[in-house]
Amino acid sequence: MDSVGEGCTELKREYDQCFIRWFSEEFLKGDRSADPCSELFRKYHTCVQKAIQEKDIPVEGVKFMGPNREKADS
Amino acid sequence: MKIWSTEHIFSYPWETVIKAAMRKYPNPMNPSVVGVDVLDRNLDTHGRLHSHRLLSTEWGLPAVVRAILGTNRTITYVKEHSIVDPEKKKMELCSTNITLTNLISVDERLVYRPHPENPEVTVLTQEAIITVKGVSLSSYLEGLMALTMTANARKGWDAIEWIIQNSERENVPLCDLC
Repeated sequence: MDSVGEGCTELKREYDQCFIRWFSEEFLKGDRSADPCSELFRKYHTCVQKAIQEKDIPVEGVKFMGPNREKADS
Repeated sequence: MKIWSTEHIFSYPWETVIKAAMRKYPNPMNPSVVGVDVLDRNLDTHGRLHSHRLLSTEWGLPAVVRAILGTNRTITYVKEHSIVDPEKKKMELCSTNITLTNLISVDERLVYRPHPENPEVTVLTQEAIITVKGVSLSSYLEGLMALTMTANARKGWDAIEWIIQNSERENVPLCDLC
């Protein structure tokens, strides 16, 4: 599945693979440890945030319930 | 405003359905979803997984609605928040469109739970509130959107089944196939 940022799709794919493995093999089986994908997420996230700003997509306009991830890069 | 709801039963255990739901896109039934991004993801203190995603879609509005509303914008962005609770075996997903909001809002909520009497099957309850703003034909358009939601819900169920069948057969993560 492509990213909204054309240049981010490969970074997204690497992160998605890491995440789904952790989600299927650890999280759903009751392992409470955090996912090991934070470095991959950080790279992907930086790329996609840039794309969102460039395309002027109003992602900040909607607030959902729930705590936010502590971002190491902000 | 129009409220729409439906229910569907998958003949698979909750874990199987949830795994498929988490990697639902891409699939042949929803070609209109052209992009999915994870904006944020975290575990809360109760051990629940929160995911905030951005969906880029081309099906947000039926062509006739686009024509009446006078917009030719093809991509509609949808923001989605899902919560997976592995202990209570519940996945809840809320989504709302974040563009075209001056014309229409579609707020959708999905909940996946094991069937209370049969843990080998999973119940999906799905509801949406559709509001078309500032148009004299709004109730007509809302009804039309509800019909579209019904068709899309069916595609969504088929997509989950498709993911399950393909990933079970290939036994590899779906993202490797795309």
